[in-house]
Amino acid sequence: MPVIEFREALRTAMIEEMERDDRVFLIGEEVAQYDGAYKVSRGMLQKFGPQRVVDAPISETAFAGLGIGAATCGLRPIVEFMSWSFTLVCLDQLMNNAANIRYMSGGQIKIPIVFRGVNGIAHQLGATHSHRVQAMYSRVPGLVVVAPSSPYEAKGLLKSAIRCDDPVIFLESEKILADKGEVPDEEYLLPLGVANVERTGSDVTILSYGRPLTRVVRQASEVLVNDHGIDVELIDIRSLRPLDLATILASVRKTHRCVIIDEDWGYCGMGAGILHQIHKPTFDDLDAPIEYIHCDDIPVPFSHDLELAMLPSLDGIVTTVNEMFGR
Amino acid sequence: MSVDITMPQLSDTMTEGTVVKWYKNEGDRINEGEKLADVETDKAVMEMEAFTSGVLAARLIAEGGKVPVGARLAVVATGKEDPAQVKSQASAGSAVKAPEPAKKAEPAPGEGTGPATATAVAAPVAVAPSPSASNPVAEDNGRPIRISPLARRIALEKGVDLSLVQGTGPLGRIIERDITAFMAAPPAKVTAPVVSPAAIGPGATQVIAMTKMRHAIAKNLVASKQTIPHYYSTIDIDVEELSSLRERLNAILESRRIRLSLSDLLARALATALLEHPALNATFDGTNITRYGDVHLGMAVAIPDGLIVPVLRNVNRMGLIEIRQRTADLVERARAQRLKQDEMRGATFSVSNLGAYGLREFSAIINPPQVAVLAIAAAEKRAVVRGGSIVARTMLTLTLSGDHRVVDGADGADFLRTLKGLLEEPGMMLL
Repeated sequence: MPVIEFREALRTAMIEEMERDDRVFLIGEEVAQYDGAYKVSRGMLQKFGPQRVVDAPISETAFAGLGIGAATCGLRPIVEFMSWSFTLVCLDQLMNNAANIRYMSGGQIKIPIVFRGVNGIAHQLGATHSHRVQAMYSRVPGLVVVAPSSPYEAKGLLKSAIRCDDPVIFLESEKILADKGEVPDEEYLLPLGVANVERTGSDVTILSYGRPLTRVVRQASEVLVNDHGIDVELIDIRSLRPLDLATILASVRKTHRCVIIDEDWGYCGMGAGILHQIHKPTFDDLDAPIEYIHCDDIPVPFSHDLELAMLPSLDGIVTTVNEMFGR
Repeated sequence: MSVDITMPQLSDTMTEGTVVKWYKNEGDRINEGEKLADVETDKAVMEMEAFTSGVLAARLIAEGGKVPVGARLAVVATGKEDPAQVKSQASAGSAVKAPEPAKKAEPAPGEGTGPATATAVAAPVAVAPSPSASNPVAEDNGRPIRISPLARRIALEKGVDLSLVQGTGPLGRIIERDITAFMAAPPAKVTAPVVSPAAIGPGATQVIAMTKMRHAIAKNLVASKQTIPHYYSTIDIDVEELSSLRERLNAILESRRIRLSLSDLLARALATALLEHPALNATFDGTNITRYGDVHLGMAVAIPDGLIVPVLRNVNRMGLIEIRQRTADLVERARAQRLKQDEMRGATFSVSNLGAYGLREFSAIINPPQVAVLAIAAAEKRAVVRGGSIVARTMLTLTLSGDHRVVDGADGADFLRTLKGLLEEPGMMLL
């Protein structure tokens, strides 16, 4: 099976879908002539021409709105944001228009659109360029929110997102775009709304997704299994909305313990919302309170050391999980 | 709505009780299961738990106040009603004189137009609950047992008494593995402190006021002896085989740190014998005799200046190991005066075991409404005749006291014969 980078997986997903359906097009800042700020769309301008790979002016409101308008007219746009942090200036387009038009038109108008780009804390981008927007969008009825953690998932989920008739918030990370992984040549789709049990275990359910999963959670799980004898069940949530509660609840009912790890702020964070979904249905199955490991409650520092310090750490995860067992 | 808290009947013989100490003030938030007050019964000082959650609107009895069972002690506002109003209604409608609350709270601002009695009530403050989660001590006060929901569910299903389980989870929380471990092994042993009575010097005297418990014992035993025509039947039992069986079992159980006593084997035999002779496994209320399909064995336990009779329930359904573990637990908590009321009532037959004192034989007084009691003396080597020769055998003398109103001497003797058969040929218990 070919081993390709995360960004190539995204690119091949877009190319395949654009070849399959001529209503699909890509728009965003520097996606065409510059091959994309992170080179995700490299070569796509040559392949599809300026009609379908469009450089947008530096106005998220304008090109997000253009995408939504195009979707109302029957096209299937892919809108790339250079950073999800920049969508704070076009929230009205995403939260009001994209999320609500289908509902407010009584189902007459669908918005088949994908908004994608890099999200979260990368490295020394400072407080304003390090926002983690997942909780903000995952709480909005009408949106679908996806956060892949490997090239295989990036491709399979992006293809499904492009074919989805509802607006999909597709969250990537600058730090995992160069990650490599096996991606089959033959076509495949991964369903939206389905979590992936990466490792089955009996002692504790660890829930994570996207960047933190690749950065620290998988490693911490290995340490817990190998050095602490704790049989971890590791679940990649993948789809933040809709949440695959069936898989998650079955796991927590089995292990009686649950830890949620993300890089959001804790208060009103993504994990807090997930925790709320889990705790009541599993209350009588829990042998310990559900833990939520998240970022510190501060603006994201520019300093390398401080930025690292605010993030969930391998040691922190290992300690927290051990404490759940009273050790 | 408002809910009355009444003086509970904490023992069979209790007719009135004294509020020794309140743990909650008027206006305090109380949670179900929380310690509300100490109540002195005729036997002991016991904790009274709240059976409902809400705001303690009114305390109708001051500390030291004595009231009959069933009398109102306090009123809890369980909903959105104004506790001050609940208190004024409760005080007005109360048949029992409500003593002045010990301390007066400052009237809350804007409360001047309320009923006069409300000024003595600390108005519940309408703010968010204090963050007790960050304070383990406060949380401990609110919820005496820290336990995970899973462990609580399993304990409920398995009927585990949570007060006996040692938690090993975070903050000492009882978690699943603690319940599992508890069910697999006996609880850790705690040695009761030895209390030596104060010496009385030559020529001196000492006047001792009757404690509540002493009083209750006196009252009950006088009633028993004056009402019940006791008869006594004594039997010698050869427990040589039983003793060696016990030693063999204990050798096997050593690795599990379980050591059976002769009383455990006796309890097992009693359960079998009593089910065969239901006339003795009974209670009598003066009119009707009630017989029981299970054996709840009362076991007299001496404690400083008194006697407590914890009840080993359903002993007929237990094996020897469970009998040992449950007995050890009951005796230990009886000595620590930590038994729950339920664990001291409902016996269908009792034993008094003074074997440890080396008595050859003695007789016991029936504890009504039971109809019989068995006095167990010391097992000792005695010279007995076997096949025409004198040999040394381990012998045990039992004395049955029977209530002749309902159990005749022949019934008692027949029961003793069955018991003797079981003890001399322990294999019979397997039948």
